[in-house]
Amino acid sequence: MKSHWIMAAALSAGLGSPALSQDKVKLVDVIELSGAGATAGTNFKNGVDLAVADINAKGGILGKQIEIVHYDTQTNPGNTRAAVQRAIDEGAYAVLGPVFSGPISASMQISQRAEIAQIVAGEAAGFTKQGNPYIFRTSLSQTAAMPKIAKYLKETVKAGSIAVVWVNNDFGKGGRDAILPELEKAGIKVAVDLATEQGQADFAADAIKVKNANVDAVFVYLNEEESARFLRAAKQQGITKPMIGETTLLGAKVIELAGDAANGVKGHVGLSIDAPIPAFQDFGKKYQTKYGFNSDHNGLKGYMAVHMVKWATEKQKKFDKKGLADTLRGATIKPSDEPGILMETTIEQNGDLDRESFLAEVIDGKQVITATLPKIKP
Amino acid sequence: MTAPASQESLPQRSRLALPASIDGILLTLVAGAAILWFAPVGMGRYGTYVLSLWLVMSIAVMGLNLTLGYAGLKSLAQAAFMGLGAYTTAILTAKFGVSWYAAFALSGVLTFAVGIVLGFPALRVKAHYLAFVTLAFSTLIWLVLRNEQWLTGGVFGISNINRPEFFGIKLFGALEFHRFVVVITFILAVALWWMIRSPWGRAFMALRENPIRAASLGVDTRTYTLLAFAIGSAYAGFAGALYAPLVEFIDPSPFSLSQSFFLLLMVVAGGSGYLLGPFIGALLGVVLPEWLRFAGSLYLIIFASIVMLLLIACPQGVSGLFERGWARLTGKNSGGKNSGGRKGTF
Repeated sequence: MKSHWIMAAALSAGLGSPALSQDKVKLVDVIELSGAGATAGTNFKNGVDLAVADINAKGGILGKQIEIVHYDTQTNPGNTRAAVQRAIDEGAYAVLGPVFSGPISASMQISQRAEIAQIVAGEAAGFTKQGNPYIFRTSLSQTAAMPKIAKYLKETVKAGSIAVVWVNNDFGKGGRDAILPELEKAGIKVAVDLATEQGQADFAADAIKVKNANVDAVFVYLNEEESARFLRAAKQQGITKPMIGETTLLGAKVIELAGDAANGVKGHVGLSIDAPIPAFQDFGKKYQTKYGFNSDHNGLKGYMAVHMVKWATEKQKKFDKKGLADTLRGATIKPSDEPGILMETTIEQNGDLDRESFLAEVIDGKQVITATLPKIKP
Repeated sequence: MTAPASQESLPQRSRLALPASIDGILLTLVAGAAILWFAPVGMGRYGTYVLSLWLVMSIAVMGLNLTLGYAGLKSLAQAAFMGLGAYTTAILTAKFGVSWYAAFALSGVLTFAVGIVLGFPALRVKAHYLAFVTLAFSTLIWLVLRNEQWLTGGVFGISNINRPEFFGIKLFGALEFHRFVVVITFILAVALWWMIRSPWGRAFMALRENPIRAASLGVDTRTYTLLAFAIGSAYAGFAGALYAPLVEFIDPSPFSLSQSFFLLLMVVAGGSGYLLGPFIGALLGVVLPEWLRFAGSLYLIIFASIVMLLLIACPQGVSGLFERGWARLTGKNSGGKNSGGRKGTF
């Protein structure tokens, strides 16, 4: 039975790491390509690939071509940790991803110990509050986005009472915990506080509950597939009150899956290929041409993440891993300096971002931007 | 799916199979532990981490192998028990500063006790019904882990779980902690090896093969069913107590029902009812997908295909395959899938 151990040793030997070649700079994208986060992760991955192709076509970073590797996390914290560890063992210059905050929390100590920047797509509030100087976002956090939603609900929608429908995972619970105090401050009564399941298929009962509560508006904070299913169920139950969302609810994937039921949905979007910024629209067209479907906000995040690395490397004029994180911290990246960043982005000391965002509405199956909101600290 | 053999009577042991093969298993464990002690040198932290994760999962699979492979009880709650152990250890060490060793022991005791309580229905229900009872329990535990945020951190999980010290040696580094995991896994594997050889082990197998005959021979089926289930659950608790400091972060997702199915798959793929089966099963479940990553986006499809082909070609899992190969090599009559028997398990 010794052969078991020989097999183990043989397999283990296969885990050894190849060396980083000299004329290339290696980035590792640790991302959800299977499991609950696959939709978001695939968009992010495509965005990263598009950015790498663009940069390499223009000569790379400081003359070096980017070598990109994607490791699937299966949306599992333990696997994510293994993947980030592998990235570091393989000499990655920076780690990109993941999207979900559980996997981020499980892996961010690894990049911190190795003093390597980890540029993630997560929006949950918690992980930038732990004093880790190597974690960076690519989008607004829930803490930054939710006050904008509450203001919108009060001033534009003029809602006095509201139903909050959220998915009971780290993303949904984080969003729900962030918006409730904001709604209270704005004097909006939360009549229904409804938790739903990740992967839930049938939202009829939830839609009926919301309908019976007779609220002025419904705030929907679910992942992509679930958002679409809820919108369909709400339409079937004849809910006519405004459906308000934050980024995900107005995303391309949700609009595609929900069909007619997405029309009329309004809310706040952090990033959108339909934003009135030519660079965003160009990205959207390039993405559509290459992959055959529209990018959601995660595609933009992936694209920006690679350009954050490029900008900081060119700024420090060398490939210094620790220096990359130091350069990013506290920086403001302008599209005039780095067109790939697409819009002016300020990185705060804890890795949170500040940038403009948008109000949008879904009209005839398309997201239409209705207003641009300024940075929190202009 | 459960056991490769369903003999009416315990098969006659071949000359080779008796004491020599028993020692063979033990020797394999010793040699394996020695190899794994040194294996990660120069392997990098990623390889070391994957090896540690493999061993931790092996402990959980060993427990399920006892429940399923030896005692024939189909449990779908192994990941839930692992979660109980992981959360007990994480909460005690991270929130209350309890020593990891005490937390490890308590995790085992707690999962053993819960196993006894949950095992009572096992006396009344069997097969599919037992699976349903454990399925319900699994869901219940998952809901508690997720919803009782004041205790478990809910969906945000518990982070910054410390690794233990060993007589003043900090096990912070990947290699040190890996060696610690090797030692614990070795102790638990030897304990199980001893148990299987003891009258308890024979009683467990008698329960699986023919409960009525076992009862008529004076085996207290109630006690042994409970014991098998509780010990199997305690192994999951021990695995959880190692998993938490290994990953240094836990949330409910690795302890969901699907993970219980995955552990079940590891038992069957490795060879249920073989003492070394869990190591092979966990190797397939943990290391193989990592190793297949060179195949890019196809790796999970390749992994699933390998597992399916394996189970079609050899329902007894890899251990059964090895055994048949060994029988053919030594010219002994493998005589179909059953008569090879479980070398070293008696």
